[in-house]
Amino acid sequence: MLFNSIDFAIFLPIVFAIYWGVFNNNLKLQNIVLLIASYVFYGWWDWRFLSLIIFSSLVDFYVAKNLEKNSNPKTRRRLLYLSIFVNLGFLGFFKYYNFFAESFINAFSFFGQDISFQSVRIILPVGISFYTFQTLSYSIDVYKRKLKPSQDIIVFFTFVSFFPQLVAGPIERATNLLPQFTSKRKFTHAALSHGFKLMIWGFFLKVVVADRASIYVNAVYNNIESHEGLSFLAATFLFAFQIYGDFAGYSLIAIGTAKLFGFDLMTNFNRPYFSSSVSEFWTRWHISLSTWFRDYLYIPLGGNRATKPRWLFNLFITFLVSGLWHGANWTFVVWGALNGVYLIFEVLLFKQRKKNVLNIITTFILIYFAWIFFRANSIQDAFYIIKTITTNLGDLYIGRGPDKTAPIYAALAILSLLVVEIKKEYFDSLFSISKHKNEYVRMAAYATLIFVILYLGVFDDGQFIYFQF
Amino acid sequence: MQNKTVYTALKAFKFLVIFVIADFLFGTVAKQLYFGQETGKQARITYSLKQVDTDILILGSSHANKHFVPNVFEQNLNKTCYNAGVQGQGVLFQDALVKMILQERKPELIILNIDDIWLYENNSNYDRLSDLHPYYWDYRDVLKPILGLKSKIPDFKLIFKSYQYNSTLVHAIKYLVSPQKDFEGYIPLKGVIKPQIQKGLEKRNESTETPTLDPNFISAYKSFIATCKINNVNLLFVVSPWYEQNDLSNNKSMHLLKKIAKSENVPILNLYNDKRFLNQDKLFNDTSHLNDTGAHLFSEIVAKYAKSNTFDTK
Repeated sequence: MLFNSIDFAIFLPIVFAIYWGVFNNNLKLQNIVLLIASYVFYGWWDWRFLSLIIFSSLVDFYVAKNLEKNSNPKTRRRLLYLSIFVNLGFLGFFKYYNFFAESFINAFSFFGQDISFQSVRIILPVGISFYTFQTLSYSIDVYKRKLKPSQDIIVFFTFVSFFPQLVAGPIERATNLLPQFTSKRKFTHAALSHGFKLMIWGFFLKVVVADRASIYVNAVYNNIESHEGLSFLAATFLFAFQIYGDFAGYSLIAIGTAKLFGFDLMTNFNRPYFSSSVSEFWTRWHISLSTWFRDYLYIPLGGNRATKPRWLFNLFITFLVSGLWHGANWTFVVWGALNGVYLIFEVLLFKQRKKNVLNIITTFILIYFAWIFFRANSIQDAFYIIKTITTNLGDLYIGRGPDKTAPIYAALAILSLLVVEIKKEYFDSLFSISKHKNEYVRMAAYATLIFVILYLGVFDDGQFIYFQF
Repeated sequence: MQNKTVYTALKAFKFLVIFVIADFLFGTVAKQLYFGQETGKQARITYSLKQVDTDILILGSSHANKHFVPNVFEQNLNKTCYNAGVQGQGVLFQDALVKMILQERKPELIILNIDDIWLYENNSNYDRLSDLHPYYWDYRDVLKPILGLKSKIPDFKLIFKSYQYNSTLVHAIKYLVSPQKDFEGYIPLKGVIKPQIQKGLEKRNESTETPTLDPNFISAYKSFIATCKINNVNLLFVVSPWYEQNDLSNNKSMHLLKKIAKSENVPILNLYNDKRFLNQDKLFNDTSHLNDTGAHLFSEIVAKYAKSNTFDTK
């Protein structure tokens, strides 16, 4: 089920009413409501893939219980490997099987060896990269004895499948989210109001910013032979805001929805385009994933507590894997590697970058350049785009037919977004309509924002980009 | 809990009232902006629905709008003519439009420019039905079933003026600030085909995937013919020329379009691979759109055909 669909608009109030209206005094029943709702939410796409979540949850639930009971290091290690094998096995098969097999065959063909390979048509289960990482972190934390395992199977299953963040994060840590399922949730007006506000802003980012930008971006990136350098520059600029609006929008809707049920999820985006270095960018962009990789890959590899070459290697590998996590395509691998290279240069060249406009712009340009690889349909396309930008700026494509107005809407939306973010970043203590004393002023502001969303948004049930990851 | 619930419900109600007021106030401005347009695509749709009263009416997508010169038809046939072609619109839209127009007026002849891919699945054709949202409450009986093919509960969604006039702002401002000149609905294209456009569109032919026919589009096409027949309106279908030669022998959509027209005795003038247009740089603006010179030549051919195959045979 998509957040920006009429199905969700009907689903959410029903679950909300049952959750608070019928089972307000019973924590166990509230968790059962959430579990059923989460499975309905997920099964709306394809109920068959529920079996993967259930199996994965079952394995990790029992692995964790046995990890707690067992003190033999060998047995404990085997149990951890079982959890890793199941979770990464699913992810590997559904997401990477064809990619690795084809890459392997291509590598052999390069050296003159022809191996026949029949690719398998595999449907990627929505959100598999997110929930496998969430449940994997649980097993690892229990293995490291940082966390007591859950004794309640309903609680654990609900933690793995919690619908607000099931398919595109934030990737929650068990240490933060799991205890919230076992403590009494309070129905507070403040939390509800805050949740709604986050959701409204999230919808603005998604349907007004991201989906508008996507019309121009798709027109250019999906038909690269017809376009010239200026169009690629404009499309990549719009893509930088499309991906931000899409993903930050989803995260805000997820966080807002969770608040309606009394849960606090972690912040996932913190105005990343105001970063003055690439390393700062990665502390403000997709925070739940960056910190996951930091805690479960970078630090176990040795982090920065190693020789400098090893430290740089750890950085590079972490970003390479992060790139691959985003998709089974060499474009994502290069995108990850490029970010790794940026960070290596920052470590080698700068102690700390000052917070100033020049550094913010430089960082944006570096990130912007990397987005070309992220969005391009293939590595060849990415290099064609870069070559065209550097050799033939040509004419700016302004859209055809009914799509002609899309870039204008997108530009207006991005401008509004930047005004809001500049205000939050630099002048947050100044006046704020959302914190105005008069409740009618506050309400009128959000009513107007909903009007703007309905008036200027794109409503074609557009998918969230991160669903494919 | 009871008090908290009442408090929250009260706040939610207040917010709802404020939203309804905001939607009404801003929505009224949006409506004025929309219907205040005198030129541009949206103004032409309104004009086609509310005012056009010509003998000949031309319908179709951008190919209709850019290829049919009403003046040429008027001179050749001695009949009044209006071009109501709308960019990017497929057969669902044409079915809705003809039903709405024929509620008020009945032209003698409707010329429908059909595109070869019209019966293939294409989500854009559903999405672009939003061009009809501003007219929903005036033509609800016609539009509800058609909009309902894509959108759930249109009655509820279109209560909100904000949604009814969604995505109309930039277009309205653009044509208020800079009016677009049309010639009885016809918008001429200037300039000749650019090499890079040609190169990009070549890619279209490389696709090996076989598209699927959409049953809703087939029904809409049949419904279009039936509506015209019930209202005793003559029909002529035309297939516009392309710059490059394309093999349509495996095009299921085109085959079906022709087959249905034939079974309903609707004449089709197929100029798709017509030699008078093939590879004529000076007649095209891009590979599928004629420029003004090409449109005049094309309109002469169609007008003469219409004279001998529709009016003369009546």
